[in-house]
Amino acid sequence: MTPQVYPEKYFSKIFIKGNKRGEILIENIIFIILNLIFLTILVLFLLRQGEGAVALEESYAKEIALLIDSAQPIMTMQLDMKDAIEVAEKNGINKKDIININRNIVTVKLTKDSGYSYSFFNDIEVSVYPDATSNNLYVIKLNGYRNE
Amino acid sequence: MNNRGDKLISVYWFAILILVAGGIIAMVLIFYGAQYDVREIEGEIMNNKISDCISYKGLINENVFEKNYQDNLLKNCHVTFNVEESWTDIQYYFDVKIFGIENIDETVAEFSEGNKNLISSCEIANENYEKLAKCSNGKFYAIGEENKQYLIQILSIVRKSEKNVKQ
Repeated sequence: MTPQVYPEKYFSKIFIKGNKRGEILIENIIFIILNLIFLTILVLFLLRQGEGAVALEESYAKEIALLIDSAQPIMTMQLDMKDAIEVAEKNGINKKDIININRNIVTVKLTKDSGYSYSFFNDIEVSVYPDATSNNLYVIKLNGYRNE
Repeated sequence: MNNRGDKLISVYWFAILILVAGGIIAMVLIFYGAQYDVREIEGEIMNNKISDCISYKGLINENVFEKNYQDNLLKNCHVTFNVEESWTDIQYYFDVKIFGIENIDETVAEFSEGNKNLISSCEIANENYEKLAKCSNGKFYAIGEENKQYLIQILSIVRKSEKNVKQ
């Protein structure tokens, strides 16, 4: 009895068939890893946007300007700026340099390259400094009207 | 054949993922890209500030009837219209109308400060015109000398559109 000769094509089919389980496993793992990478990037993007320095700078500058607008002389206000202080410290900004008031313009700076300014119409002398008794508070002190 | 089908499904899967992610990113950028519009609150605060200057504890400040006081209203009310360097025009306006209660049609005193061009924005108060200035109206009564009663109307306008509305 002469041995049966199988064509080469047939061998390759057997080879592929024999390895199919392994291939499916690797493909699935790569697919899952890619999905995870994709979703992780998406979640990181959303988190970064939520605690972004630019949005915080704008919201704090406007909030402080409105607080000063509605305040009277010899008032002292304390503002909780925990999230802004955390972002500023991450970006190497000194705590006392976060808020700066030049005449009637408030500037909040949380990164070295950015900063947001907003003006207030109350013509009053204001001084701002970090609260010595708390790590998260800032003190806004209204001294008196300018033209008195 | 089955393997090819799987690959085809994964390509579609990624296409769907990219579409969903693109949508989420676009929504987040629109949400966080929009500026906080504080002009309405600012206008109301200005209204209160001017009110305090015109009348205190229900009694009218009799100085408001004097021309000299009206001419130096900003100084007398401790208000400044200085803004950031990005603007050259005045970004605020307010006007005060004082009526005697016995004749509500005629003003006893009327004065204003700021950019008069902003008044037209109040007439076109519409959602589609957010870039225009925001207006805030206030009305209250006060008593003067000899128990004379007055109606005081204040209109405050804040523009500052570039810093409050996405351009």
